Amino acid sequence: MTLVDRDFQGAAGDAGTKDLASVQDTAGAERPLIELRQVSKTFGTVKALQDLEVSIRPGELVTVVGPSGCGKSTLFNILAGLEEPDPGNILRLKGVSSAASDLLGKVSFMPQRDLLLPWRNVIDNAILALEIEGMPRAEARKLAMDMLPEFGLAGFEAQYPNQLSGGMRQRVALMRTFLFKRDLMLLDEPFGALDALTRTMMQRWLLDVWQKHKRTVLFITHDVDEAIFLGDRVLVMTARPGRIKLEQVVELPRPRKANIVTSLEFISLKKTLLEAIEEESMKSFQVAGH
Amino acid sequence: MSASVSSDSLRQFSRGIAGALLVAAVWELCARGLDLPAYVLPSVSSILAGLASDAGSLLAAARFTAAESFTGYAIGCLAGMTAAVLVTMIPSARSVVVPLATAINSVPVVAYSPLVLLWFGIGMASKIVMVAIAVSFTIFLSTIAGLDRVDRKSVDLIRSFGADRFTVLWRLRLPTALPLVIAGMRVSTVRSVIVAIVTEMLGAYGGLGWVIYQAVLQVDFVKVWAAIIVASAISLAFFGAISFVERRYVFWR
Ligand SMILES: Nc1ncnc2c1ncn2[C@@H]1O[C@H](COP(=O)(O)OP(=O)(O)OP(=O)(O)O)[C@@H](O)[C@H]1O
Ligand SMILES: [Mg+2]
Repeated sequence: MTLVDRDFQGAAGDAGTKDLASVQDTAGAERPLIELRQVSKTFGTVKALQDLEVSIRPGELVTVVGPSGCGKSTLFNILAGLEEPDPGNILRLKGVSSAASDLLGKVSFMPQRDLLLPWRNVIDNAILALEIEGMPRAEARKLAMDMLPEFGLAGFEAQYPNQLSGGMRQRVALMRTFLFKRDLMLLDEPFGALDALTRTMMQRWLLDVWQKHKRTVLFITHDVDEAIFLGDRVLVMTARPGRIKLEQVVELPRPRKANIVTSLEFISLKKTLLEAIEEESMKSFQVAGH
Repeated sequence: MSASVSSDSLRQFSRGIAGALLVAAVWELCARGLDLPAYVLPSVSSILAGLASDAGSLLAAARFTAAESFTGYAIGCLAGMTAAVLVTMIPSARSVVVPLATAINSVPVVAYSPLVLLWFGIGMASKIVMVAIAVSFTIFLSTIAGLDRVDRKSVDLIRSFGADRFTVLWRLRLPTALPLVIAGMRVSTVRSVIVAIVTEMLGAYGGLGWVIYQAVLQVDFVKVWAAIIVASAISLAFFGAISFVERRYVFWR
């Protein structure tokens, strides 16, 4: 209960986009929100992650790219508290050493598939996490109703998932994640299944929502353009076992317009990143081939 | 959406009625035209007349059988679901209990009825126990199958929201299982009436099975048929009621 109260006070405090820049200016000085050192994860004989080092500052939007199967979702599962990494790791949340399982309920996690519950309508899917926290249904529904327009779902509150388009389902899943107000938000390829046009709309929309709500976001994607367009930093992972191969700071000014993707700066970043990814993808194909 | 469902079911219903009327007409023609003796096939009109003249005793018997079936059904459903939930919460019990239940469920339950009559007497209790046994195994197995359909990723998602095992059960596993549980409940309705009637035939103080058995002894085949029709009506009504509940609450499939 106290957890809920604190989070909602926090949420009420974040008004507008203007504070964001100042958060970023001072971010270097702030201690990381979450920090991983020497994190490895083995499944039987498969080494999914090896000596991964990541640190995320409050308010950052960090994107993660890497070849398929390199352990991106595994990293998220660890951060969400669902998988325990191999022994010998260091995991710090706000400077406090923790086991992964301590993170259960402390991170808002959106998995690769939307996983909406077919027996709940839009509004009740969106409030799932709030209900689990113990918030009365009526109160949770009211909060969610107020958020519907922002997620482009106004008027759809009573629809069931099988009546929605892919893009809308994804927005409901995102809304469920946003309503679970936690300091760190993990988004695993949220737009991966959408067509190109819908995806660019969703990216712009996500940036708006993110700037307004000021959350720390870790965002997995397969799409380099998406990684650059959204991120303050892009992390490129190696082929399995996954490590961070390259950490690329994106200094494009915010708010970012759609046409930024044709700027020289964007294109040169894209070139660097594509080269790094290409190298790793080749490796993972060679491994798979043998 | 709901409009099309109800017009669909209305069409189905009227087709069913039309079919029943057709069968009754052919039946009447055969019984009269071929002048069949009553022990082969009494005419529909004589059965209806029998229904009317024996209405009082048939209704009492119907109430008796319905009470046994519903009580046994309710107990069986509750027992089957509870057992299934317990077994899925205790994984080590599962590998023993499920094969055993499958084996027991594959023996026709009526095979146990002489024993049950011996243990519980020939009153209502033995019928209720028989029905409960028959229903509980079916519901147990369909609930287990339903609970197993839950997706690991969905469990992970709600655990990441801080859900404990009971929350996972209540918010995720049980709703996921519901379609299969209700399908099992629908099938069990008819089974529960059959088991009650068959057990009554083997020894009872009342009920439709007992009426049928007595009527056969008295060579009153019109009464046998009248009782069969009442039994079918109970079964159908029961089946219809659960189907209605199913359509209403499992709308997402
Ligand atoms: N629970 C598990 N049991 C066994 N192996 C697993 C498990 N989870 C992941 N793996 C293995 O770990 C490796 C990394 O998987 P992961 O899902 O993290 O990759 P990914 O980078 O998210 O891939 P994609 O981009 O295709 O989503 C894969 O080889 C996968 O087979
Ligand atoms: Mg993945």
